[in-house]
Parts: sequence; C-alpha cells; structure tokens
Amino acid sequence: MNFLTELFSNFWVSLTGKLLLVALMIPLIGMVIGYAEMKLSAKMQARVGPYFAGGRWGWAQLIADGVKFFQKEDLVPDEADRPVFKIAPVLVLVSTVAILVIIPFGPGLIFRDLEVGIFFALAISSLSTVGVLMAGWSSGNKYSLMGGLRAAGQLIAYELPLVLAVIGSVMLAGTMSMSGIVEAQISAGYPFVILQFIGFGIFMIAALAELSRIPFDMPIAESELVMGYLTEYSGFRFLFFFLAEFANMFSLSAIAVTLFLGGYWLPGIPEDVLAYAGPVILLGKTFLLVFTMIWFRWTFPRFREDQLQSLAWKWLIPLSLANIIITGAFKVYL
Amino acid sequence: MVLDQDLVRHLSESSVSVELQTEEMTLNIGPQHPSTHGVLRLVARVDGERAFDVQPVIGYMHRGYEKLSEVRTYPQITTLVNRIDWVAGYANEVPFIVAAEKLLGIEVPERAQFIRLILSEMARISSHLIFMASYPLELGAATPLFFALRERERVLDLLEGVTGGRFHPNFNRIGGVKPAYGSGSSTRKVIQDLPAGFLAETRDAMDKVMAAVDELEQLVADNEIILARTKGIGILPTEVAASYGVSGPNLRASGVKFDLRKVEDYLPYHLFDFEIPVGENGDCWDRWHVRLLEIRQSVRIVQQAIDSIPSGPLQAKVPKIIKVPQGETYVRAENPKGEMGYYLVSNGNQGPYRLKIRSASFSNISILPWILEGVLVPDIIAIMGSLDFVLGDVDR
Amino acid sequence: MTSSPSETETATEAVEAPTVHPLQEYADQVAAVVEGTATITFDTVKVEVPAERWVSALTTARDDLGLFFFSWLSAVDWASEVEVGDPFPGEVEDRFEVLATLSDISEGRRVTFSTTLSKDSPSIASLVEVFAGANWHEREAYEMFGIDFPGHPNLAHLYLPDSFQGNPLRKSYPLLSREVKPWPGTVDVEGMPGSGDEEEPVDGPSEENPEA
Repeated sequence: MNFLTELFSNFWVSLTGKLLLVALMIPLIGMVIGYAEMKLSAKMQARVGPYFAGGRWGWAQLIADGVKFFQKEDLVPDEADRPVFKIAPVLVLVSTVAILVIIPFGPGLIFRDLEVGIFFALAISSLSTVGVLMAGWSSGNKYSLMGGLRAAGQLIAYELPLVLAVIGSVMLAGTMSMSGIVEAQISAGYPFVILQFIGFGIFMIAALAELSRIPFDMPIAESELVMGYLTEYSGFRFLFFFLAEFANMFSLSAIAVTLFLGGYWLPGIPEDVLAYAGPVILLGKTFLLVFTMIWFRWTFPRFREDQLQSLAWKWLIPLSLANIIITGAFKVYL
Repeated sequence: MVLDQDLVRHLSESSVSVELQTEEMTLNIGPQHPSTHGVLRLVARVDGERAFDVQPVIGYMHRGYEKLSEVRTYPQITTLVNRIDWVAGYANEVPFIVAAEKLLGIEVPERAQFIRLILSEMARISSHLIFMASYPLELGAATPLFFALRERERVLDLLEGVTGGRFHPNFNRIGGVKPAYGSGSSTRKVIQDLPAGFLAETRDAMDKVMAAVDELEQLVADNEIILARTKGIGILPTEVAASYGVSGPNLRASGVKFDLRKVEDYLPYHLFDFEIPVGENGDCWDRWHVRLLEIRQSVRIVQQAIDSIPSGPLQAKVPKIIKVPQGETYVRAENPKGEMGYYLVSNGNQGPYRLKIRSASFSNISILPWILEGVLVPDIIAIMGSLDFVLGDVDR
Repeated sequence: MTSSPSETETATEAVEAPTVHPLQEYADQVAAVVEGTATITFDTVKVEVPAERWVSALTTARDDLGLFFFSWLSAVDWASEVEVGDPFPGEVEDRFEVLATLSDISEGRRVTFSTTLSKDSPSIASLVEVFAGANWHEREAYEMFGIDFPGHPNLAHLYLPDSFQGNPLRKSYPLLSREVKPWPGTVDVEGMPGSGDEEEPVDGPSEENPEA
C-alpha cells in the first residue's frame, strides 16, 4: 500500500493514470449508454433490441459496432476541406472529455478540483459548437451545410439558458468549484433542486438542445437532411461523434446531478461510506437523468428551427433571468 | 467548393450593412431520400431555410403500364395493376375488373362483391396504417411507426391467408374472385371458397385494429410538438384542390364531404352504414386526422360486411377465353390515396385496346409546386408526407 | 350487341337503348349547354365537341354545370390496323381522340369530353388557364402521343428522359418484345415448360358462353 501511495504521489505517474482513466471512461460510458438506449428504445417500441450479440442480452452489440467502425475505410469526400474535416470530430470529442475532469465522484475523488469548475465546464463544452460548424461547413455537401448552420444557430441559442440556469445554483452554494457546490448541499441538508426547480428544468431542456437530441435534433433531422452535418462522416470519425454524443449525455447529466441533485451524496449516509458509495450514487443519479433523455427522444417529434429558436429566446432566457433575480433576492433577504 | 470563394470575396468586399445579402441555393431533395416515399426528386431553390421554387421531377418509376396493357390479357393486367399503389394492392384491381365486367355485361355474384368490398377496405386500413406509421417518423417521432406497423401485420397476414399475397393479391377475376385453391386437375372440382376461419379471424383483427387506432390517437393527436409542426401548415383551399384534381382524404380534409364510395356503384357500399370524416382547415393535421377517422369507418364497414355476407358462388360463369366486346367506359373508385379510375377502350379482343389509368397520387402531387411556395424546408417534408402518395401510383 | 326482340330488351344491361338509361337526361343537358353531342357508353356520359371549341366548352362546363373537378386528360390513338388480336369489328377512322373527364364534388356526376384531332400535326389548345391541373396531364399526353398544346407554359417531358425520342403510346411505336416473341393467341395461360399439367387449348368462345 505504501509503495502505491508513494508511486501516485509522483506528479507524472498520477497524471498519466488520470489521463488513462479518463480515456478509458469515454468509450466505456459511451458503450453502456449506447446499449441502454438500444434496449430502452426497443422496450418502448414493442421490440427486443440487441439480442444475438453476446448471449441473449446483446451486450456485445456496442463492442461489435465499435470494431465495425474502426475497420471501415477512411473516406474524405473530394469536395471537402481536408484539415477542417479531420479536426472537427476530435474537437467535439475533446470538449466532452474535458467536462469529465471536474466532476466530483466522491469526497476528494475528482480528477482536478478547479476553483472555477463549472465555469470551465461550460466554457469547454461550447467548443463543440465550433466543431459541429466545422463539420457541416467542410463536408462539401449542401445537406451538411444546412445541418451545420442549423446546429450553429441552435447551439448558440441554447448556450445562454444553459449558463444562466446554472447561476442560481452557484449563488446558493457561494462557490464555482464543483466539489464546493456538493459540500454546500451536504451542509445545507437538501439538494438545490428543491429551490432551483426552474433552473433544473431549464438546464435539462438546454442540455437536450446542446446534445442535438430529439426534440431538438434539427441539425441531424434524419428524415430531412439524411444526417445533417454528420452525413459525410463514416468509419472512426463517425465513431468519435457517436461516442461524443453519449459521453456528452453523461457529462451534462453529471453536471446537472452535481449542481442540482446533490452529487455523490444521499441524506443519511455517513462521511466515510461516501468515499466508497459516492461514485455509485453519482452514477445512479446520472443514469436516471440519462434515462429521461432517452425516454424523451423516443416519445417526441422534433421542433422546427424557428420554433426551437423562439422557445430559447422568448421563454427560456427570460425565465432563467427571472430565476436569477428571485434567487438573488432570496439569498440577500433570507 | 464554390461557396468558399464567393463568400470570401463577398466578405472582403462588402462593408457591414444592415441588410445581410444571402445567396440562394438549389437543393435536390431526392430521388434517394428517407422521406420522399420512393424515388421522387424535388428540385428546390432555397434562400436560407425558405424554399421559393419547388419543381418535382417524376418518372423514375415509370414502368409503361398503359402501353403494356395493350399487349396483355385481362387476367395478366390484373397482376400489373396491383403494383400501381402497392401499399393498398387489392384496391387497384377492383375498378379495372369492374370496367371489364361492365363491357361484358356480367353480373358479379353477391358473395364475390362482399368479399371484394371486405378486401378493399382492408387495403384501405393497411394503406392508412402505413401513413400513420411514416408521417410521425418524418416529423421525428419514431415510436408510432412500430405501433402502426404491428397492427398492419395483422391485416397483411389475413390478406396473405386468403389471397396468397401480402402486397399483390391478384385475387380478382372477371366475374368475381378466385380463391387460391389452384386450378390443377385434382383441385379444380373442389368447391372453392374462402379459407375456413377467415371471417372470424378478420373480425378479431378488426377489434384489435380499432384498439390500436385509439392508442395512436392518444399518442400523436394532442402532442404539442405535432400540433406545432402540422397545424396551419400546408393549407389547401377547395377550389385549388379541385382544379388540380386532388382527391381522397386530401380533399376531404379541406372540408369537402365527398366520397366516391357513396356515389359510384362499383361495389355495394350502399348496403352499409358509414360516415365520411371531414376536416376543417385543410392543413396537415386535418389530413392526418381524416385518415385516422377513416380507419375507424373502414373497420365498421368490414364488421358489418362480415356479419351480413351472403352465401353463393364466388365467380360468375365465364368462358375460358374471355373476349371483351367493343366499347368504352370509365370506372372510378375511392382508393385510399384518392380517386383511381380506368378508362377502358376495348375492341373485342382478349386485351384492351387502350387503358388509361387515372391514378390518385399523380394528381395529388401535381399540386406540390403550388403548395410549397414560400415554405420552410422542414415544412416541405411535413406537407409532402401529409399528401400521402406512393411513387408507383404517380409514375405507373 | 344488336337489339333482340322487345322481350329481352329490358332483361339485358341496357347498352344502347337511350330511352331507358338513368343518365340520359343529364347527358342531354350537358350536351345542350356545351353544344356538343352526347352518348352514354356503358354508364359513362361522353360528350363530343369539335376541336375549335374545346376550351370554351370545358370552361362552360366548369362554370355553368358545376363540373370544376379536373379528373384527367389523355388521348386514344385510333388506328385501323391492330398489332395484336382480332381487327376491329367495324370501320375505324385513323385519328387521335383527346379525352378529358370532369366531375363535380357534390353529387358525383362525371362527364368525359372528347374531341378528334387528325393524325398529322395533332394540336389542341391548352386547358391550363381553365384547370391548373391540366398542366401535368397535357405534358404526359404530349410525350406519349406527340400532341401539341399551344398555350401550355412548359411542354417538356414528364416521365421520360429528355433525350428520349418517339411517342410511346402511339400504335406505330412498337413494343419491342412483341417483335421477338409473337402474341400467344388463343391460349389464356401458358403452362410451365415440361410439366404435364397444362390446360387443353380451346379455340375461340365455346358453348359455355353465358347469357349476359
């Protein structure tokens, strides 16, 4: 045990270890959530879902899909802008991965506890907007261009409610550090969602829009634009986008859990148990939110672009601003 | 890519002004596209998200049926004709056979007419269920697809049980219907009738279809996003519809209470009690809703027909080689997609001299340039889907 | 079918006995309004108008008779020589016959208007101004028969590729497979080659010919 603690107190070793862990988490989370989506959507649609790959449960389906994507030919369309085309999926995946760095999995169990945790997370996640626009523009295809432009409009419009919804929770906690926010909820004794239910609702809606999931999947809009900005991507580049979507679902849900639902804490569990039970509790709550996202996807049709924009600008932003004002007043006078 | 250079030049030359000059783009929707119901190509000139000149290009599925039918006999043409609107295969055969029977002056036995009616209504249910499945999918909702297709499987299984084909029944013969018992020397003498249990199973299946229609209505009809995407979109006024020849549920959604089943006599619909659902505004939601209500009415008709079907022969006595005497006639029927008619010109031979096929979807989509003027791109998909056409019906 | 002695007249389906047909009155009314000649052929009202008054007749039908639903427009290529089957029982004049069916959307009355065009340079005024839906139907008639419609805004090919030459639905346009394999003739259904299960071929209508 001593040897291990000494080993990991070395900066470079622990850095490498953390990088490996994050790198490993992404495909793992992607596969688990992907499998959950396939099975849940099948249940909702009176189907069975993956069945043959891996016994009669089909758990190996995603692994098979991953291998399939990897061994495909690397196609870059003739008309495409090659460097931009190649960088775009990387940008989207990186912005997702970066969010995982500041999520507290337990007391002290965090990759890097930044003082400006939530600020960092939101800033990095907006890089994916650039990535999507790059993908749409550089594909050399009118459908991709339309999808990319729709995506740009949508993602920019929904960044604002996403950020503003978070501010209420930050104000209640008094700190931007993610572990600080969880500790504030622990010391307050209740998760912030009880006071910030408007903020929570707005955050979840804006998160769905940031992910380009139905009901906000105009940029992809399978029945209209074939695959929108993803049309020309195949092989492992598509895998990056694919994984990025599922990992992003996890990341944003984890942020929501940390900010609003109490993070790795459940009332009634003593401190020392939290060190071991914390990650489990966090994962449980996150998967609950992920389940809701999957549920919404298979129930609703998609909004039209202008309806989507008016929802963001006319409803969500004023609501979130009102939320901030009310929270501020609450904080000052109570 | 042309856009790069133009935009760069534009940005470097232009000064910042309030009016942002945008360029129009020609977008090809189709012929391979998830939402065009087949190989339809729309050449749309769009400015941003707004389309202002949409021209359909058809003919990718043109199979030359009218020319082919001049060198085929009537039973052979029956096999061709149910491939026109393949979603409701049986309904295409009936008006054609009735036209030939009119020229021959043959009286079709009652039982055969009832069977034709039951199968036509089942074809209508099948076609409308496909619409129920695919239309929400085009709007983004993936789940009603599975519910509707699950019910459609029941209907198709029944159709297969009695005619031998799910999509292409080939069940009509001149003078009646022909059950699939074969015409070999050993089976020819068997009294040919419907398979045992068909009527009882159909009745069962109709109850389940009714329940499924209720479920679909609950799932889709009041969904806010569906309402936002379809209410007030693609309004079709009656005069425009009539001058273009738009018929069927599309016309009824615009408020016209007109159904060919009530005015034409190709099948004994006058014996049954059913309503004609009518829409109010003529928008996409009304077209969806009218078809949903029509499924219910079709189920009613089938149930009444099964309860009152008479016994008797299934085919009138006809000679082995049928030569239809000289004459011309136009018979039209209420197909699920609209008015389908056959103008049959015969010169006394085993096959027609000229067969003009008036297909519903051809006229229904001739309205696309008018109705898609100035419409947003997602609405193009919503409106096209609501017209419910099939390319085989358009191109023949 | 020639008319038999009076006792069978009411038993048969009335084909050309205008006094009995329920649509006769309507047919006469239509013919009077558009100034054409009406016949009833197997429950279909067919009104013939001369080619010069094609547009005005249909406009009158739309405005005064309530027939504003445009059903279809097409043509028939009448040629006295037939490629398949028996020749015409009587005399047939070589011509193009343009047909257009209009209907109303309240009672379901429908009338098929027809006019005759000559075989060389067939041309008739376009109905696009009267019925917007005639646009595609006339394009189809143009490419299939070669009939010209002056006044049509865009008389281009509808189904066939632009480079296609010829007018497929004319009787003079051969159906290539018939050049190679002749019309099967009297056998209704050909049996599978080599199987013994074949229908005995029957020559022409047999004694099973029923009474209509």
